[in-house]
Amino acid sequence: MSRALASPSLAVQRGILGAVLLVACWEGAARGLHLPAYVLPAVSDILVGLWSKRAILVDAAGYTLLEALVGYGLGCLIGIGLAVAIALVPALRSAILPLATAINSVPVVGYSPLILLWFGIGVSSKIVMVAMAVSFTVLLSMLAGLDRVDRRAVDLMKSFGASRFGVLWRLRLPTALPLLLAGMRVSTVRSVIVAIVTEMLGAHGGLGWVIYQAVLQIDFVQVWAAIFVASAASLAFFGLIGFLERKILFWT
Amino acid sequence: MAIPDSLRKLIRLLLGLAIAAVIWEGAVLLFGIRPYYLPRLSTILMAMAATPRAYVDGFLRTLAETLIGFASGGAFGVLMGVVFFRVRALREMIFPIFVVSQTIPVIAFGALVVLWFGNTLLAKAIIAFYLTFFPVTVNTLLGLEAVDPKQVALMRSFGASSRQLLLRLQLPTALPQIFVALRLAASLSLVGAIVGEWFGDTTGLGVLLLQAMFTENVVAIWAALLAAALLGTGFYAAVAAVERRLVFWNAEQ
Repeated sequence: MSRALASPSLAVQRGILGAVLLVACWEGAARGLHLPAYVLPAVSDILVGLWSKRAILVDAAGYTLLEALVGYGLGCLIGIGLAVAIALVPALRSAILPLATAINSVPVVGYSPLILLWFGIGVSSKIVMVAMAVSFTVLLSMLAGLDRVDRRAVDLMKSFGASRFGVLWRLRLPTALPLLLAGMRVSTVRSVIVAIVTEMLGAHGGLGWVIYQAVLQIDFVQVWAAIFVASAASLAFFGLIGFLERKILFWT
Repeated sequence: MAIPDSLRKLIRLLLGLAIAAVIWEGAVLLFGIRPYYLPRLSTILMAMAATPRAYVDGFLRTLAETLIGFASGGAFGVLMGVVFFRVRALREMIFPIFVVSQTIPVIAFGALVVLWFGNTLLAKAIIAFYLTFFPVTVNTLLGLEAVDPKQVALMRSFGASSRQLLLRLQLPTALPQIFVALRLAASLSLVGAIVGEWFGDTTGLGVLLLQAMFTENVVAIWAALLAAALLGTGFYAAVAAVERRLVFWNAEQ
């Protein structure tokens, strides 16, 4: 890197400064220009609204996070499983990859009407949607990781009599881990957003449902409060996976 | 062979599509899949042919929203990448806000944008923009930072200005990275356009999807999905083709 890295504390200070400036501008614009709540409510009003509706919002966030987490776990398992199957049986690649790519040529949210019809408006349709959104990213990053392995290292292990499974377990999986975990980290925010998007089209609860109801009731303080909660939930999920990533990848 | 390369590729593509169509049609007939889950391809195509105007109009409308959002998001993303690269303080102040902005569910953001700008083409394009600019910013920044400092020092020693440095060395070096993000952004801008249409509109592929859901018309859902797939892959292929043209030195990989 061409320039010396600024000390991390300075970066953090500037980050905080940026956030404070944003909040100040927001608050100032909303109060100073007397913007109506449906245009832009003041931050303080949103926080007050968030606190007064905290029971509903926490419930909704729990509902959404449950869908996102279960779908995320399922999607990761499917993605990893398919990638490992391709690594073990290379002939599968030409069957699985074109199909996965074809399914993914439609943006994943496009499927939500179909999935809602098939699985109803309960929790299961959201889980399926999240799993679909996550599994493709995980499959691709896992495959890229498995393919990245050094040819010579494979040959060396084979010359010592390692089986295909042995090479996979001891060499290719550890090599693939950094890329896999990077793909999984990217998928966290996406899984929460997909759950919320699907909830908006039909659900019994959750943040997307709360947001949609609030839009219908023109309660924009509540919309913003739900947005704050959704962002916090996404960031927490992202942070959790990032933390696990650093724990697992202790050697990088 | 006399057949040019591009023509052969086209033939192979058409052949692949034809095989996929036969497998689809055959699998539905063979396994007796209920139309509720997967209708026959011919049924879907006939449904599209019955009301072609709705699909053509929807396709063009969604395409326009996607293109405007993509172009503005891509330009803004590259610009912000360069600004963040040049001005470290700005980067540290604004970049975290960008990151947080991407955790806002697009639905919630869409609700606000539609409220601010009405149910217009502009509102949908802004939603597509919002999904597009972030990956482009990130990859521009990454690409610019990966430039070899020795090359920068060399050009500086020949008296290159910052502008020349940027245009002749840094941006071209970052271009492959930028295009990785642009290809991703091509898909994301379509998501933005489709979701944006769910807030109530009269034309567009998202509208067709939603109407089909409310009438529980699975054939119409699949027809809209096919149109969206065509738009998505076509746009992606176009971006990839531009990439092969512009990043010609990276082509044979």
